[in-house]
Amino acid sequence: MAEAVRHRTEVLVVGSGAGGAVTALELASAGRDVAVLEEGGEHADDDYGKSSPEAMRLLYRRRGMTPILGQVPLGYVEGACVGGSTEINSGFWHRTPREVLLRWHAQFGLADAGVDDMAPHFDWAEERLGISKYDREWPKSTRMFAQGIEAMGWAYQEVPRAAPGCLSTNACASGCPTGKKRGVSRALWPTAREKGARLVPRCRVHQLLFERHRCIGVLAEVEVEGGRRVLARIDADHVFVCAGPTETPALLRRSGVKFHVGETLRVHPMLKVAARFPETIDAHQSVLPLLQVKEFWPDVSLGGAFFTPGHLALGLSDNWPETSDRMQRFRNMASYYVAVRGEGRGWVRPSKLGDGATLIHYDVGPGDLKNLSQGLARLCTLLLAAGAEEVLPAVRGMASITSEDEAIRWLDEALPKANLSLTTVHAFSSCPIGERSEKCAADSFGKLRRYENLYVNDASVLPDSPGVNPQGSVMAFARRNVQHFIDRLS
Amino acid sequence: MSSESSRRWVTVLGAGVSALFLWVAVRHIDLASVKETWRTARPLPWIPLAMAAYVVGHFVRGARLRFLVRREAGLQVTTATNVVVVGYASNNVLPARLGELVRAGMLAERTGIPLTQALTVTFIERLVDGVAILFLLVGASWATHTAGWIAELARVGALVFGVALAGLGLAVFFPAALGALASRLSQPLGRRAHDTAVGLVTSIVNGAAVLRRPLDALVIGVLSVVVWLCESAMFVAVLPALGLAPSPGMAVIAMSVTNLGILVPSTPGFVGPFHFFCSQALLAQGVGAEIALAYAVLVHIAFYAPATLWGAGAMLWYGVEVGATAALARAARRSHRVETIGGVPMQIIAQLAEPPKEAEASDFDRALTEAILPPGGSAAVVGDSARFLAGQIAALPTRVRTLYAIGMSVFRFWVRVRYLRSFCGLDLDRRRAAVAGWAFGTIAPLRQLFRAPRSTVLLAFYEHPAGLATLGAEERRHLPVATTAPEEAHG
Repeated sequence: MAEAVRHRTEVLVVGSGAGGAVTALELASAGRDVAVLEEGGEHADDDYGKSSPEAMRLLYRRRGMTPILGQVPLGYVEGACVGGSTEINSGFWHRTPREVLLRWHAQFGLADAGVDDMAPHFDWAEERLGISKYDREWPKSTRMFAQGIEAMGWAYQEVPRAAPGCLSTNACASGCPTGKKRGVSRALWPTAREKGARLVPRCRVHQLLFERHRCIGVLAEVEVEGGRRVLARIDADHVFVCAGPTETPALLRRSGVKFHVGETLRVHPMLKVAARFPETIDAHQSVLPLLQVKEFWPDVSLGGAFFTPGHLALGLSDNWPETSDRMQRFRNMASYYVAVRGEGRGWVRPSKLGDGATLIHYDVGPGDLKNLSQGLARLCTLLLAAGAEEVLPAVRGMASITSEDEAIRWLDEALPKANLSLTTVHAFSSCPIGERSEKCAADSFGKLRRYENLYVNDASVLPDSPGVNPQGSVMAFARRNVQHFIDRLS
Repeated sequence: MSSESSRRWVTVLGAGVSALFLWVAVRHIDLASVKETWRTARPLPWIPLAMAAYVVGHFVRGARLRFLVRREAGLQVTTATNVVVVGYASNNVLPARLGELVRAGMLAERTGIPLTQALTVTFIERLVDGVAILFLLVGASWATHTAGWIAELARVGALVFGVALAGLGLAVFFPAALGALASRLSQPLGRRAHDTAVGLVTSIVNGAAVLRRPLDALVIGVLSVVVWLCESAMFVAVLPALGLAPSPGMAVIAMSVTNLGILVPSTPGFVGPFHFFCSQALLAQGVGAEIALAYAVLVHIAFYAPATLWGAGAMLWYGVEVGATAALARAARRSHRVETIGGVPMQIIAQLAEPPKEAEASDFDRALTEAILPPGGSAAVVGDSARFLAGQIAALPTRVRTLYAIGMSVFRFWVRVRYLRSFCGLDLDRRRAAVAGWAFGTIAPLRQLFRAPRSTVLLAFYEHPAGLATLGAEERRHLPVATTAPEEAHG
């Protein structure tokens, strides 16, 4: 491409979520010329906190219809708006555990990512997001869970959240309208813009453009005034792809970048249950249960799930003829989950058909099934010990578990795979970083192998499952990586 | 080169091409014999018949245009036909096929659809016209066992037809892959070539999107073939006027060759190339040179006069300003310019079609929703839940959505066989029984098929105020909107 180029952006960031926002803020703070392209829209506060169907239409990728296919299909959702999934998650925050960092170093050759290396980045993110514990009396759904954990004598923790002063309005999954749950659209974007970062919402990047081993820009579909859409070329000196664990590998592969890209997707498969208590819980009017059982970590975590009547019906729908009458008792119910570390493997591919969708595939491994079965047994036992009259898992043919004997059998037996209704909100590792070139798409700081100026910096870079909610790991690694980039540029 | 000087060059080049073709067409012709042929010709009733066939063809074009924009605008066939004819008339008097822009401009003005979309519609019409003409040429040459260069042309036409069909198939079913391929292949050719190639492919993909529904594709394909059969009828009708047998095969070949030939840029009205290719097509089928030229002149009159006069009348009727409309359409098409959007400089490569509108719930969606929901839901909550279902299904990746559509077709077929009525025609109890048999039965794939509609509809119902009311619950309570500045909260 010999012609002179007159209009270039120094650093182009694709995606404005946990990875993209940190990348843009750090670059802008360092005085760099940075522009961010976001596929979703930018929403005002009054777009948040709506009913689930409306929130799915406004804030979720493909309105929440992004199934992960495989032997056991998984329901998967992620955000598609300014701020990405941080706008619709519960804000739970974990640092990457020491054991996980050590394993990533050993298995992927991940350099300079020890606990001490990562600590300043976690400190920075925690301050920005106001990470803290819930400062009011625990809601009933949490208290019942705590009662069960105490009865079982298991280790647990109240998980800190990015929601200082949370008003317990139970709107996390619809975007918090109170401003207390701090997605990055509130926590980082105003500062990033003040420092000069430019953000273009409703701009979907179709493809990266290359000149030999340099990425010279992108081809993007942009919404302009009057809702018109144009196809535009945007030139850049450096490109960071931060489009999330499924869209980043899809975009890279669509652009011909395939080396270890999109072949190692990992997720935390999750099985939900509803528990019915004799007393009123009113889980639909409070924040989700705040505790996680750590006794069986890293393989299994037990915790609380988002609850509304609609989501309860969704969870009961596998056994609807037997369970639909429980809807009348919804005020006595709350939702909980078993999440496992995810030993299966998956892949991500851009669809060649029609709409430019992304195909996601994940095979639940035998270890996952064992962990889910044992996790279900333990969760049911815990909830029954907490006083639940019955536990209703999202497993077809298992409408209700009412006794510890019924529950405990799953410690030794495997759940029927074909009958599981699994979900996940945690996906990662689709472009793993590390020095082991035989298994990593990018070096330890996210620079893609074989390319001079192309980087990934979102959940896709985590080499393997972190075993905890990944937002903290994503933000800390994003800051570490972009600071390394800035240092090299300087 | 400025656009004005470029247009001047196009005009000069077109005039040169016209003169060259005219000269080649008449250089060995005895013009006195041609005059004698005209003198002895029997214009009645054949020439008016030819014109009538051509006019009918325009009405079919109008019907096709109406079909193409039916989701965006309620256009009458007469208005749609007038839009088409104004485009043809403009092409007859303006150089460089400017009529296509006039037509797009007038379509936008008449319907209120964006100019870019009107241009896309015009583009797809031309694209399917090309495919229909090639289809007729290949069919006619095989049917008439034509030899010589026409046979060669038909063979090449068959190849082009196959490639065009494959290309169209790619554009319809694999648009993302086609765009990516065009971009990747053209990147080594330089920036301008890349942007041009991507812009062109984008236009094709935009246009081809209307063919994504098989039924729509079939209707548009059939209408396009009918359009060109009408035009062939015009060519047939002129044959007896000159004492030739009214051979449909000969006429279809002459029509196809002529219309492919006038793709060569020339003067307004295609004077020269039209006569050359039309007469050559007849010559190749054993007609004498003088009669062939006389025929070409008569067909050209039948082609030129009605559209031009009708178009002029329509322009007066609708008050169309050709120059302004074309300029507007040209501006809408203009690309390869730098714009700053959101503070980011971007090189605009192509305009894109409007995004699809929110999916509407079909009668089947409503019937299915009612069969899944708990009893007692009002029509409003059923309607809203069905609309949500339609939107969610439309959002699925194409592959999954296609599987869902196939599965539901099988279910509906099974219902028809089992109950001897359509699903929508069943009473609610039977619909519930039919759904329950699949959704909660023992066959896993059938259960999987109903998983998405079942969970989607239940979610919508129990998030709806009317659904919540069945539980004695209130609508989600009013949530306070953020009152603190975003940066304030963390200090």
